[in-house]
Amino acid sequence: MFSRTKNINLSPIKQIELLASQIPDVVSLAQGVPSFDTPDSVKKAAIKALNKGLVAKYSLTYGLLKLRETIEQRLAEDGMYYDFEKEIIVTAGSIEAITATLIALIEPKKNEVILFSPSYTSYAETVKVAGGKPVFVNLIENEGWRIDFKSLEQKTSLKTAAILFCNPNNPTGTIFPKEDLLKIANLAEKKKFFILSDEVYKDFIYSNEDKFNYFSLAQIPELRKKIIRIFSLSKAYAMTGWRIGFLHSDEEIVREILKVHDSLVTCAPVISQYAAIAALDFGDEEIKKFRQQYEERRDLICRHLDDLKDFFSYQKPNSSYFVFPRLLPKRDSWQFALNLLEKAHVAVVPGVGFGPNGESHIRMSFGRSEKDINESMKRIKDFFQK
Amino acid sequence: MINIFKKIIQFKLKWLAKIYLWRVKPRVIVISGTTGRHWIKEAAKEALEKKNFLVRTSKKNFNAEIGLPLSILGLSSNTANFFEWQKILWQALKTSLGQRRFKEGSNEPDYLVLEVAIDAPEDMSYLVGIIKPNIVILTTITMICAENFENLDEIGKEYEELIKALPWNGILVLNNDDLRIKELKKHFDGNVVTFGFSSDSQYKAVDVFKISDGQSFKIEIQRKEKNFLDTKINRFGKHHIYAELIKAVIGDNFKERQKDFFGKILE
Repeated sequence: MFSRTKNINLSPIKQIELLASQIPDVVSLAQGVPSFDTPDSVKKAAIKALNKGLVAKYSLTYGLLKLRETIEQRLAEDGMYYDFEKEIIVTAGSIEAITATLIALIEPKKNEVILFSPSYTSYAETVKVAGGKPVFVNLIENEGWRIDFKSLEQKTSLKTAAILFCNPNNPTGTIFPKEDLLKIANLAEKKKFFILSDEVYKDFIYSNEDKFNYFSLAQIPELRKKIIRIFSLSKAYAMTGWRIGFLHSDEEIVREILKVHDSLVTCAPVISQYAAIAALDFGDEEIKKFRQQYEERRDLICRHLDDLKDFFSYQKPNSSYFVFPRLLPKRDSWQFALNLLEKAHVAVVPGVGFGPNGESHIRMSFGRSEKDINESMKRIKDFFQK
Repeated sequence: MINIFKKIIQFKLKWLAKIYLWRVKPRVIVISGTTGRHWIKEAAKEALEKKNFLVRTSKKNFNAEIGLPLSILGLSSNTANFFEWQKILWQALKTSLGQRRFKEGSNEPDYLVLEVAIDAPEDMSYLVGIIKPNIVILTTITMICAENFENLDEIGKEYEELIKALPWNGILVLNNDDLRIKELKKHFDGNVVTFGFSSDSQYKAVDVFKISDGQSFKIEIQRKEKNFLDTKINRFGKHHIYAELIKAVIGDNFKERQKDFFGKILE
C-alpha cells in the first residue's frame, strides 16, 4: 500500500504551518505568502469575467489565447521569444508547471534531478512525485551561496534528467550570475539534460545593478530546446491563492508537457486566467510598490538580526523576501524551529527542509507585515534572553 | 452607480475622440480579429515610421469602448477613481481641442494604428460610431471570445460592420489563411489585399523554416513579375510571419511621406 507515496513528505513549510495553526497567538514568518492583497485592477477583471459568465467552462488546455498572447508580449519585452500558440502553457501555479515538466522529462534510466542545497523545500518532493531521484549539489555559503561547480560536475551523469533551480534562489535570495548560468548550460549540453529555471522572485530584486544584470537562460534562442522557464503570478502580484503561473519552452518540449498538464488539471483555473491578463497588463505599478515595501522590510528584519549577532549570522538577501540566517552555535534546525514555535510562538522554517546544506539555518519570511516582523523578532529576542 | 459613472465617461470620451479625429484628420488603420493584433500593429507602425510618418498606436489592451477613445487621444488609464477620471477627462478635452502638447513632439500623428477588440454582439457598431477607418486589417476568427457569441460566424458578422465603415477608396487587408476572414472580401467593392501562407495570397510566405534563433522565409508578392523578399526574424510562430507580410503590404501600398521644407534643408 502507498508504495509510491510513502517516501514523499509534506513540505516542512506546511508541517510547521499545521503545527502553528494549533497554537493560539502564533506569529508566522514561515510561509512565503505576501502580506498584500491582490491589486484592485486584477480583482475587478476577475469579477467582470465572472459576471459575464466567462469562467464556468474549461479554457483550452494551453490556457486562454488572450492570456498567452499577453504572456508572449511580456516575455518579448524581456528578450525571450516564444510562440503563444505552441510554446506557452498556463498552469495552476509554478508547482504544477514543475510537476508536469518533471513527469514529462523523467525516464526510468534518466531519473536523477539535480537540486541546489539549499533550495525550495517542495522541489525534492516534486521530483519524487514524478518518479525521480533528487540529487543535491551544495551552494557555498561563505561565497555568497554560489554554486559548487566541482560538485555539480561530479554529480551530473548520463542518469541526470534535469537540473531544477530557483533564480533568484529561495531561501537564500541569491541571484545566480550570468557566467554561472552559462556554465550550467554548457554542462547540460555536454551531459544532455534539461534545465528548469523557476523565476518566481525575479520581480523582487533590490539593487538597480542586479536588476539591470538579471539574466535568464531562456533569453538565448540556441538553448530553447534545453530550457523550460517557469513563472508564477503568486508572488509578483500577490496572487498565491489564485493558483496561476505559466511555463514556456520550445514547441517540441511543450507538446509533451501539455499531455501531463492536461492529465493533471485539464486547464488552469479560468477565473484566475482572466485575472492574470489584468495583472500582466496593469500590475507593474503594484509590483514597484511591493518591491519598495519588501526592501524596507528586509532592512527592518536585518536590523533585528544585527541585534542578535550572538545567535545568528546571515547574508543580506539581494532579492526575494526571505532571509536565511545560520544558527549560532550549530544546532538542529528542526529542533530549534519547534522550540521557537512552542516557547516563543513564532513559526519559522527549519533550514534542513531546504536540503542537507540548509541544516543549522532557519528561513524567515519578510513578506509579512512590519507589525508581524517586529512582534516576532521581539519574541525571538525574549526567547534568547530566557 | 458605477455603471452610470462608466457610461458617462464612455459617452464623454467617445465625443472627445470624435472631435479630435475631425480636427486632426489622421489616417486610421484599424487592426481587428481575435488573435495576433498586437504584432500586426507593431509591424504596421514600424513600416509607416520607415516611410517618415508620425504614428500613434494603441497601448496594451486599450482597444474597446473606453480604451479605443483613450488610444485615439494618446491617453491611458487604469483607475476606477472618480477624481482620477476627472483629470483624464480634462486631458482628453485639452487634447481634442489641440491644447495639449505630447512629450514626443508637438506634431499630431499622420496615422493612428488602432487595435479594435470585440467582446459581444453589437460591440463593433458602437466602435465604428467613433472611428472611420481608412484601412482595415483583419487577422483571425478563433474561439477566443466565442463565449458571448452563438458561433464563430457571428463574430464574422461583427467584422462586416467594420468593413462597411471603410470608404470606397479604403483598403481591406485580409488574412487569406482564415476561411471566415477570407470570405469577408465579398463585403467590400474596393481594394482588397490578401496575405498568408495560402497559395492564392497576394502577399505570401513561402519556404518557411524554423531555425535555432527564429524563422527564415521568403515573401512572394503577386505582381506581373513575381517578387521574392528573403526574410529572417528572431521570433517564433506564424503570427510573426503575418506581421512581416503586413510590413510588405504597407511598404508596397503607401507612398513615403515627403519631409517638410525645413527637414529637407537640415538634411
